[in-house]
Amino acid sequence: MLRFLKVTGDSLAPEYREGDFVLVSKIPFFLVPPSPGDVIAFHQPGYGLLIKRIQNISPDGGLKVIGNHPESIDSRVFGTVRRGDILGKVIWHIRKA
Amino acid sequence: MIYQILNIFDQKVHIETVKAHCDIPCGIYDPIVAQISALTVVRMLDLMTEFEAKTPDRNKEYMNSMSRYIAVKEEHAERAKAEIRVIWGDYLKAQHLEKYPNAHALVHKIMQLGSKVRQTTDREQATQLVEAINEFAQMFWETKGIATKRAKAPYAPALELVYPAL
Repeated sequence: MLRFLKVTGDSLAPEYREGDFVLVSKIPFFLVPPSPGDVIAFHQPGYGLLIKRIQNISPDGGLKVIGNHPESIDSRVFGTVRRGDILGKVIWHIRKA
Repeated sequence: MIYQILNIFDQKVHIETVKAHCDIPCGIYDPIVAQISALTVVRMLDLMTEFEAKTPDRNKEYMNSMSRYIAVKEEHAERAKAEIRVIWGDYLKAQHLEKYPNAHALVHKIMQLGSKVRQTTDREQATQLVEAINEFAQMFWETKGIATKRAKAPYAPALELVYPAL
């Protein structure tokens, strides 16, 4: 239900940087469905566990996710994310000191 | 304070990582490696032709040298293909493909020519490979808003390459 994860990569910089910690949980999505702007952790086949921001919801219910950086590997590369692949929403962001 | 606690915890137990995956620090894409590799293929073919003409004996020394030229030709043809595949697969995004609808066909042509120059000793095919990769380089730099220029490579076989005009 609650998991601490350590961020690697810079696609969400400057907001999330390499070495930051995040606490993710599915609990918020039991109350309010995923919506644009939410930052989520999810399993993406071929890429592993990723963190991105939801840009919008496609008509079929898939989540289009995006990073801040133009070179970000996100839905522009691998398409939408299935809800079943979501690990959780970032509910706490602990920045690297 | 909380970060330090988590960091110590991470060092001892290892917190799972989540990737804000990006092609950084890559983000460094440049078709020049593919261009030079294609040029190397032409160079190897030229060396093979020269060597064949001046070496009448088909002895083991001949076989050894010719094998080395062929090995380098193989390696660089494959490298040219690999470099183009990475730019095509990782760098080019949907908005680029909308603007350059010929990109897929061009990459396919490069893959085919790359294979052809491995299979044969046809210099014409090799120069076509150089030119196809030049065309790709021009498209690549245009996607970055960088003008290009054509200039002869400052080494044999001195074919024209597309360079960014910085």
